[in-house]
Amino acid sequence: MKNLQADVVVIGTGPSGLAACVEASEAGMKVIAFEKQNVSGGAANMGMGPLGIGTRHQQDQMVDIDVERAFKMFMEYTHWRVDANMVKRYFEASAGTIEWLEDLGVEFAGAYKYFPKSEATWHIVAVNGGIGRNGGAIMNKAMLTKAQENGVEVYYETPAKKILRDEEGKICGVDAVDKDGEEIHVDCKAVIVGTGGAGDSPEYMKERMGYTYGKDLFNIVIPGLKGEGIKMAIAAGAATTEMTVEKIYILPFSDFGPQSVPVTFMQPNLMVNVQGRRFINEEMMQNTTFTGNAIQIQKGAVGFSILDQKIVNGYKKKGLDVVNFVHHVDNIDDFEQACDDIIADPNNPDVVKADTLEELAEKLGIEDVDTFLETVEEYNDMCESQDTLFYKPSKFMKPIEKAPFYAGIFHPSGYGTLGGIKIDDKCQVLDNDWNAIPGFFACGTDTCTIYGDSYMFLLPGNTMGYCVNTGRFAGEAAAEYVDELDED
Amino acid sequence: MAEVKLMIDGRQIVADASKTVLEAALDNGIYIPHLCYHENLHPNGGCRLCVVKQEGVDGVITSCSTKVQEGMVITTKDELAEKIRKLSCDFMFKTHPSECTGCPKYGRCLLASISQYVGDTGRALRELKLRVTADETNPLMLHEMYRCILCGRCVRACGELRGVGALKFAKVDGRMRVVIDGDSLADADCRFCGACVEVCPTGSIRDKVDVFRDDIPREQALIPCSAECPAHISIPEYIRAIYEGDYSKSVGIIREKVPFPHALGLVCNNRCENNCKHKHLNSSLSIRNLKRFAAEHDEDKIWLDNYLKVAPRTGKKVAVIGGGACGLTAGYYLNKKGHDVTVFESKKIPGGHMTSGMPEYRIPTQAVLDEVKVIEDSGVKIVCNSPIKNAAELKKDYDAVLVAIGTSIGKKLGYLNKDNLPQTYSALELLQAQRLNQEIDLGQTVCIIGGGNVAFDAAGTLLRMKKTVNVVCLEKDASQASPDERDTALEEGANLFDSHSNEAIIGENGRVTGLQVHKINSFYFHPETRALVEDAIPDSTYIIPCDSIVFAAGQVTGLTDEFGLELNRFGYPIDPKTGKSEYTTSVEGVFAAGDVITGTRFLIDAIAGGRDVASLMDQYLGGDGVIDEQLVERTADPFIGTIDNFASIERHEMDIRPAEERKEDFAPVSTGFTCEQGTCEASRCLQCDLRLQIAGPKFWNDYAGAEGEEVNA
Repeated sequence: MKNLQADVVVIGTGPSGLAACVEASEAGMKVIAFEKQNVSGGAANMGMGPLGIGTRHQQDQMVDIDVERAFKMFMEYTHWRVDANMVKRYFEASAGTIEWLEDLGVEFAGAYKYFPKSEATWHIVAVNGGIGRNGGAIMNKAMLTKAQENGVEVYYETPAKKILRDEEGKICGVDAVDKDGEEIHVDCKAVIVGTGGAGDSPEYMKERMGYTYGKDLFNIVIPGLKGEGIKMAIAAGAATTEMTVEKIYILPFSDFGPQSVPVTFMQPNLMVNVQGRRFINEEMMQNTTFTGNAIQIQKGAVGFSILDQKIVNGYKKKGLDVVNFVHHVDNIDDFEQACDDIIADPNNPDVVKADTLEELAEKLGIEDVDTFLETVEEYNDMCESQDTLFYKPSKFMKPIEKAPFYAGIFHPSGYGTLGGIKIDDKCQVLDNDWNAIPGFFACGTDTCTIYGDSYMFLLPGNTMGYCVNTGRFAGEAAAEYVDELDED
Repeated sequence: MAEVKLMIDGRQIVADASKTVLEAALDNGIYIPHLCYHENLHPNGGCRLCVVKQEGVDGVITSCSTKVQEGMVITTKDELAEKIRKLSCDFMFKTHPSECTGCPKYGRCLLASISQYVGDTGRALRELKLRVTADETNPLMLHEMYRCILCGRCVRACGELRGVGALKFAKVDGRMRVVIDGDSLADADCRFCGACVEVCPTGSIRDKVDVFRDDIPREQALIPCSAECPAHISIPEYIRAIYEGDYSKSVGIIREKVPFPHALGLVCNNRCENNCKHKHLNSSLSIRNLKRFAAEHDEDKIWLDNYLKVAPRTGKKVAVIGGGACGLTAGYYLNKKGHDVTVFESKKIPGGHMTSGMPEYRIPTQAVLDEVKVIEDSGVKIVCNSPIKNAAELKKDYDAVLVAIGTSIGKKLGYLNKDNLPQTYSALELLQAQRLNQEIDLGQTVCIIGGGNVAFDAAGTLLRMKKTVNVVCLEKDASQASPDERDTALEEGANLFDSHSNEAIIGENGRVTGLQVHKINSFYFHPETRALVEDAIPDSTYIIPCDSIVFAAGQVTGLTDEFGLELNRFGYPIDPKTGKSEYTTSVEGVFAAGDVITGTRFLIDAIAGGRDVASLMDQYLGGDGVIDEQLVERTADPFIGTIDNFASIERHEMDIRPAEERKEDFAPVSTGFTCEQGTCEASRCLQCDLRLQIAGPKFWNDYAGAEGEEVNA
C-alpha cells in the first residue's frame, strides 16, 4: 500500500485527461494522473485532429464558418435535445484551444472537411509538415510533455479503482492498483474522470444500449475502454446519462486488411438490404454515421454494397468517386487480388464475388432474388436517366452489368461509446438531484452527449475537439475549486 | 570494469566502460528511441532508431552498438538523427498496417509509442503491406506476421537467449519475413516459453486470449500454476530442481511456502494443474505427483538448517488450538517469528485430518508425523490429548490464541435413526477408529450414506477391514465424488446403490439390521429452503440388509457457546464487526483459521489459511508480518535448448497397484513415480517463470517526470 497526496487526480490520459492535466498544473495544482495503458493518448492516438471554429487557419483558407452558424446548424441537427450551454461554450472555446495547442508546439496542416458535404472544421495535426495518419498521437505527446514539465506525475499501467468522498460528500481521494498489484491511495481534493467510454466492453454496451456484439453491432475495439470511469463515477454518486455509440459502418473483417477493399466498397454505388431493395441514397455513404444508422434498421442489420467489374475498372483508371482522409489509398490496383484473398479465408465472410447476379444474391443470402434482380434492373434503367427513388446525383449512377460482380457485406459499428456521466457546462459531475458533487469533474467521451442520437459528422473533428476542450474546462474548474477550498 | 565519463545532451554521465551509449543514457534517465535493441539480447543495430550525434564523428552512430568512451559528447536530439529516425519509422510503416484500429496491442504498442515520440507516423513511402494471414493453429501463441516489422527480437530471443531457434528470418516470395523453422511450432521444437511474445514490440506474436488470467497482476498471471495455488508455491522452480535431479532443493523450494510437502504430494487436490499452460498443448503437468516424488527422494534435506532457524525470542506466548495442518502451519511461522508457540491437540497424535480424517492408504501416518517432527524440532511445543473447552479463557494465559480445530464432527442424519440404534457412525468416526486403533462395532456389512469423496474414503477403509461395503447415494453414478476415487473403491469391491434415497435405519433388538431405501429418477435441493426435492420411483421401497451405518454427509465444527466465542447459527466463529467468519473473532487476540472458518475444504486451503493468519497474528504481536523465507539457493538458466518432440511428450501417470493386491493392506495405492518417470514428467514443464526474467519495454513517456514521493507509507 502506497500513500500519495495531490490536489487533483486525473483518471485517464487521453486528450481530455491530458488537457485537464495541463490546465490544472498550469494553475499551480499538484496533479497525479493514472493511466492503465503503457502509453498516453488513448483512442485519440489514432485520430487526426480536433475541431476548431473561427480559427486563423480557417481565415487563411477562406473557410466560411463561425460560432453562430455552427451553433445554429448543430442545434437544429440535434433538435435542441442537448445541452445548448455546453455546445455554445465548447464552440466558442475551440478556436482558442487550437492556438493553445499551437503554443504547446502542435503544428496544424490546416482546416479540412471530412467528406465533401461537411464543413472545414477539422484541424489536422501536421505529420512531417503535411497530412498524415495518427497526428492525434503527436498532439497528445505535446500535451503530455507540457504536463510532465509542469510536474504532473503519470502512473502507467495503474488503473484507478475507486473514487472516494468524505462524510460531507466532497471528493477526498482515489484508490488505484499498479501493475504489480500494489494498492495506491491518493488523498486529493478534486478528481477528474476522462476514461474514454466503454467501446471495448460488449457487456456494458449490451447493458446500457441493448446492442449484441457481433450481431447488430460490430465494434472497432480499442483495447482497454471498459467503461471503468463511468462505473467508478456512478459508484461515487454521479448521475448517469443516455449512452450512444459513435456509429459507423464497416466490413467487420476486411476493414482491417488491405484498404483498397473497404474504400472501394464504400463508394456511392448500389446498396441493397437482405430483401433485395435499396434503402439509402448511396451518396450518403460518405456520412458514416447516417449510413450506419440506415444499415442498423434493416433486417439483420446488414447492407450489401454491389459493384461490377466495369465500375472497378473505372476506379482503377480514373480514381475513386469519393475519398476522405481516413479512408484513403493511393490506388486500388490490388482490389481483385485482395478480394480473392479475403474470399479464400474462411474467417472473412464479408466479401462475395460471383459470375451472375443470381449467384451473387444466393451467396449473400438475399431472401428474394427476384426483387433483387428487379432492383438492379430498375437501378440500371435509372442510370440512363436519373434516380427517381432517392435522388442520388447522376454522376454516381453507374449500372451493374459486367461480370464478375462483387459485394461487400456491411454492418453497423462504432468508434466507441458516448456519454455515461452527467456533467454541467463547467464539467462538474452532477448527482441525481442535479447538484454538483464538490470536487468531482469529468470530461471527454465519458460525458459527451452533445450529439443527441447520432454523431454530428457535418462538423468534423468534433469528438477530439469536445475532449480537448472539456478537458481544459475540467482542469480549470478543478483548480478553481481547490483554490476556493484552500481559501476557506 | 573501469568507469568512463561522457556527456549526453549536456549532462555529465559516469558509466561502466562495458556499457553502450544507449544503455548509459537509459540508465541515467535519458530516453533514446530504440526498437530492435532489447536489454536481454545482443544488439543488431538494425532499426536505426537509436542513432545519435557524436561530436567529432561524421554522420550519426547507432547508440545500441557503440560502447561508451571517455570524453564522448553525445547529442540525442540532433537534426540528422531525428531525420533518420523518421525515415526509419517510415520504413516500418511501409509494411506494418497503417490503421491501428482493431489491433489488440493498441495502448501497449512500442512501435506506436516510438512513432509518437519521433513524430512520424508513416506515409512518406509507398506502402507495401505484407499479406500474410493470421496463424492461429498453435493453442498458446498467435502469429499475426502482417504486423511484423522485422526487428528480429523474437528470432534472437528464441535463438540466443533460449537456445531453441524455432523462429528464423527467411525470404518468402521475394520478401524477408520471420517464419517458423518447421511446419509448426511443435515441429520446430518450440519450448513454448513465451519469450518471443514477451519481446515482440508490435503484437505480431501474442499470447492467445484465455491462456492467462487478466484479473490479477501480470507477474502472477504469467505463472498460472502458482497463481492458482492458495499458498502460491513456486511450482516451476521446484519442478526445475526435480529435472536437475536436485530433489532436496526442490523440497526446499516447496517448504518456503508449506510445511507439508509430502502430505500435499499425496492428497492435495492440485488446483495448480487446472490452469497449467501445458493443458493447451496436450495435458497439464502432474504437479502433485512430482511433489510427492521430490519429497520421497529428498535424502539430503539441504533446507533443514535454514528451516530450523528462528528469530530472536519476542517473549510473546501463543496458544494454537488444534494440531492439524492449519494450526501447525501457523505455529511453525509464529515460532519462526520469535513467539513461543504451544499447540493443543485433543487426540493422541497431531496431524488432524491428515492422521485421522483420511484413510491410511492415501496418507500414511508416519509420513505426516515425520513432517510434524520438523515443526517440533523448530521449537513448536505440541501437547496431545488436550482438548480446550474455552478459547476466551485460554486467552487469559496467552498473548494470542489461534482456533484451528477444523470441522472435526461428522454429521449424522438423526431423522433416519429414530430408534437411536448405536451402530451408526460418521465417516470421521470410522476413519479415526481405524487409524488410531480404537474399537468400533461394525458387524460384517456396512451401508455408507453419501456419495462424495469421503464416502469412498470410508469404503476403501472398510474394504481393507474386510467388510462388505454398500455405498448408498442420491446422485446417479455418485457424480459428487471424483471419478478416480469412486472407481478405485468400486474396483476394490464396493457396491454402489446410486439414485437411491434413504427412508429409515431398520433395527432389531437394539442392533442395525438394514437400511430402508427407495429409488429415484432425479432430485435437487430447493434453492431457498435447501430441502431435498426428489422424483421418486413409485413402489420401489426395499431394505438393504446391513449391520451398521456410516454417514458421509458433511462435517461441522461442533462448537457451542461454551467455547467463549460468538458463533453463527451453523457453529462457525464470527467477527461481530462484520458478522462473517474471518481470521478475527469476537474476542480480541483470539484468531481463527482453516476449516473452522471456511467450512470443510482441502489440505492446501488449511495450510494457506495458516500462513495468512500467522502473518496477521505476528503483526498483532508487534511483528512485521513477513513470513516469506528463502531456504535454498537456485538459479534458472534461461538457455533451455531443445528436447526431441517436446510438444508431444505425454503426461505420466503413476503406476497403480492392482485392486486385488492393494485392498489387502493399508499401504499407498501407488508407489509413486520412478526416477525416470519423475524426470521425464518434470521435463515437460514450460517454465513459465523464465518469462519474468525478460525486461519489459521502455516507453518514452516513462522517462519524463519523477514518480511522487511516498508520504506516511
